[in-house]
Amino acid sequence: MRKHGKSNAACGRGGGGDTLLEPPVSTWTQAWRIASLQPTLDQSAYTMYGRLPQARDAGNAALGGGGGNGNGSSSNANAATCANQAHDKLKIGYCTDLDKSVLVNNFEKRGWHQVNGDDDWHFYWAGVQTCRNIFSVDSGYRMHDNQMINHFPNHYELSRKDLLVKNIKRYRKDLERDGNPLAEKTESNNSSGTRYLYLDFVPTTFVLPADYNMFVEEYRKFPLSTWIMKPCGKSQGAGIFLINKLSKLKKWSREAKGPFHPQIAKESYVISRYIDNPLLIGGKKFDLRLYVLVASFRPLKAYLFKQGFCRFCTVKYDTSVTELDNMYVHLTNVSVQKHGGEYNTLHGGKWSVQNLALYLEGTRGKEVTDRLFGAISWLIVHSLRAVAPVMASDRHCFECYGYDIIIDNTLKPWLVEVNASPSLTSTTVNDRILKYKLIDNILSVVLPPDGVPDVRWQKVPSADALGNFELLIDEELAAQDEAQNSNSNSNAHSKTSKLGSRWK
Amino acid sequence: MEELQDASIHHMTARVIAAIKNTKSYEPIYKELQRLVCSPGVDKNDMRNTLENAIKVAGLETEIRNMIYNLVRSRLERLEVGNNKTTSDPLGYLKRAGVLWDRRVRKSLNAMCAELKVPLHGQPRISADREDFVAKWNELSNYSMDLANYRPVYAPKDLLEVLLSLKGPAKTNENTDKIPQWEFSHIALPVKNLFELRTHYADLLRIDHYSAHDLSVQCQRILESRHAPLCQQFLKRGSTPAPYRGALWAAVLDSKLHDYDIEYWQKLRNSVWTTDHIVDKLVFKDIQLTASNDDQYFVFEDVLYQVLLCFSRDTDIANCVEYETFPVKGKTYEGPPSGVVPFHGICMFAAPFCYLYDSPVCLYYTFRAFYIRYCHRLTTINTHPQGIVSLCLLFEKLLQTYEPKLWSHFRELQIQPLRVVFKWLMRGFSGHLPPDQLLVLWDLILGFDSLEILPLFAIIILSFRKESIMQVSSLDSIEAILADLSSIKVLPLVQLALSRD
Repeated sequence: MRKHGKSNAACGRGGGGDTLLEPPVSTWTQAWRIASLQPTLDQSAYTMYGRLPQARDAGNAALGGGGGNGNGSSSNANAATCANQAHDKLKIGYCTDLDKSVLVNNFEKRGWHQVNGDDDWHFYWAGVQTCRNIFSVDSGYRMHDNQMINHFPNHYELSRKDLLVKNIKRYRKDLERDGNPLAEKTESNNSSGTRYLYLDFVPTTFVLPADYNMFVEEYRKFPLSTWIMKPCGKSQGAGIFLINKLSKLKKWSREAKGPFHPQIAKESYVISRYIDNPLLIGGKKFDLRLYVLVASFRPLKAYLFKQGFCRFCTVKYDTSVTELDNMYVHLTNVSVQKHGGEYNTLHGGKWSVQNLALYLEGTRGKEVTDRLFGAISWLIVHSLRAVAPVMASDRHCFECYGYDIIIDNTLKPWLVEVNASPSLTSTTVNDRILKYKLIDNILSVVLPPDGVPDVRWQKVPSADALGNFELLIDEELAAQDEAQNSNSNSNAHSKTSKLGSRWK
Repeated sequence: MEELQDASIHHMTARVIAAIKNTKSYEPIYKELQRLVCSPGVDKNDMRNTLENAIKVAGLETEIRNMIYNLVRSRLERLEVGNNKTTSDPLGYLKRAGVLWDRRVRKSLNAMCAELKVPLHGQPRISADREDFVAKWNELSNYSMDLANYRPVYAPKDLLEVLLSLKGPAKTNENTDKIPQWEFSHIALPVKNLFELRTHYADLLRIDHYSAHDLSVQCQRILESRHAPLCQQFLKRGSTPAPYRGALWAAVLDSKLHDYDIEYWQKLRNSVWTTDHIVDKLVFKDIQLTASNDDQYFVFEDVLYQVLLCFSRDTDIANCVEYETFPVKGKTYEGPPSGVVPFHGICMFAAPFCYLYDSPVCLYYTFRAFYIRYCHRLTTINTHPQGIVSLCLLFEKLLQTYEPKLWSHFRELQIQPLRVVFKWLMRGFSGHLPPDQLLVLWDLILGFDSLEILPLFAIIILSFRKESIMQVSSLDSIEAILADLSSIKVLPLVQLALSRD
């Protein structure tokens, strides 16, 4: 409710519908949100996240109790006043490589002042390159305890298409070797051998040119399948094309002047089985963009932003060969769709995940909808666990990832890619409100209650500080929980005590 | 006394039977009955008991009960209203306004036809166009046509202006200077006060603590029983599980699909395919102006084209919708086959149903039933207790009585409070509330079989944002405060408002 004063000031400015574009009005809507939730029995669609698929029962106690919200909620009431006192003592300097209003407005709202990268900053919203420079040995820069930065130095383990696949493959192999039930395999329904029962969430992918022979072998098993080629290092749909004949790939390789000799290849590609049975709504293809905040990789602490959205293609989905080269049909990237004649600037082809859930519940039923959202949380958690061992989990870092997920017509989600610098450009009014909230919530999750960056903080945000984030996994809390669980199991009234302690 | 009662029951039965014979389901039910009579379980020596039993066993009883329930709710009710006509009608001016409004809307449509030189009755599509249209039936957003010369026939503000200018017969010995020109209070329609509303919505305040799972189980059982009144009762909770909403609404509105419905839908579709009608353009225009730009509904654009195009050809609608009748001199104009002239935002009445049904045909019949029972009263001037005039009056009286500060604030600013909320009322909040909340609101409309929830909810929102409204002094700023309803939760707010002292 502390936002109330501000909102009144905002509406004092008046103005027409256009004012919605002004950030003060969005704090407005936020104030309303908080107020309106007070008398509620909040039974919104959001709660469906965080339910893991049944596969979870197959083991993996570390994942248990996804709903923990930390234990600092009592301190939260004082958070605002604490922050104010802290500001008196310490003026927080922020630095940003991106001149985006959703960032700057959030920083200013917190009373921070802008400084240069060379000055003494406390909070840096950096581009990935800056971050790498800061962490490089050559720079000789040593961060102090009151500094935070928005990337992990080797985020590319997750965000580069080839490395992501490599890490996931290795993760599955490791689990399999340890005899972990998660790595259980099953006969595949299409005679190609086996597939993972619980960890089959990335389409079959090979890195070219390195895995070319493996790809050909796989291709021969399914000669009628379509494959999608993506340059490893590019984003926003650049350089992507579809292939349904081996000859086309060979032709491309000749034209690209022999990229099959690693030593002279400028760029490597990934080639993935194309999801040619996507779920269509209104006849159109879409993918999900979800935001995932990682506050720490070891122990893994990750949060899912509840307000993701679906990005729709502007053109009807069509698998016919003639449309294979029409990227408006196949690629959902806003940066691609924007150039289509049908692009609508009012909604930008974006449809909220809440609406998707409502639609699916209404037309397909609750059970399958819950299973889908559970499977989505599941794949996010396991993709993060796959990279956690190789990530440089520096305490100064946090990172917000844009997860791109495609749902097929059996309602199975597939991880397409992860973006370490999801776009903060706002295409519509709602987009702006959403991204403003996203940044606001990120800051309140990663900063200690007093609002001053501090690496010594244990990163256990209160329920209130989570905002629209929902805890996906906190290995530290889960471990505590488990310890407590095993203690109280001997206890007769174990269940109540376990639940109670979580909320204290 | 008993005799009288008997006579009235007898009278009612006769009417119900007459009405049943006019329904489309009469024939299939009659055939089923014939089949049952011949079935081995029916004994000709004990015809009455054995046949009754056979009817129950076959599930025909529920079907007949539901049919009677729906007939009593719709057609017979209407006859009741129609019969009460008196010669010196104090609401004559209102009925007259209703007839004139309808006439004006049709006249605009006719004028548009004349201007664009197209026949009102439509013309056969040329074969190339027809092929194109049929080929693109599932993706009509890609069907291109020039709509530059078409404008919506009317928008909410046009109807609002007419309503605000309604003049009743002048009352004697009253100082007309004191009454602002725009108040509705002079209209002698009976509307509920908050106390009566509380009684009407009493079921909403019953707090029972069912878990979501219990509700689902209960809901499934009710749907299995197929009893329409039970389904209606369930909707009164305002916490309908999303997966069952479509079936519940169809049960309450008697819009479950029969074979003849599917045939009829195909007939309507063929009519759209073969004839080119001016309302097609208006439908396309409306969807392009509203749903296609709406971030909640744009994905359903193509379904909406199908549904609204078929809607425009459906002559059953014209037969079911009640229009005000009042002798007014002057020329009468013809309307489209459905009798409904598309206006700006008509597709928003259909859009929320996209969250309930995957198949256009299911969507169509439930939407059509909802339109006939409720929506059309929001766009015509009528004396019905749930017509837009009564709703506006209810809004004003509630505001005046329960939010006097807001009322005088509006008055000082010379802003008609109705201006701020009219678009909500006329669209039943569709396009204003996010879909999940809108569906809850419409659950309540169906559950309590009343549109009175709309003005009540409008008051609740104003009252909820009162403090902010009190601080601004222009229509624009008030509208800005009320523009975003994305954070509003229907059920807790309505419960709070009804339970408050």
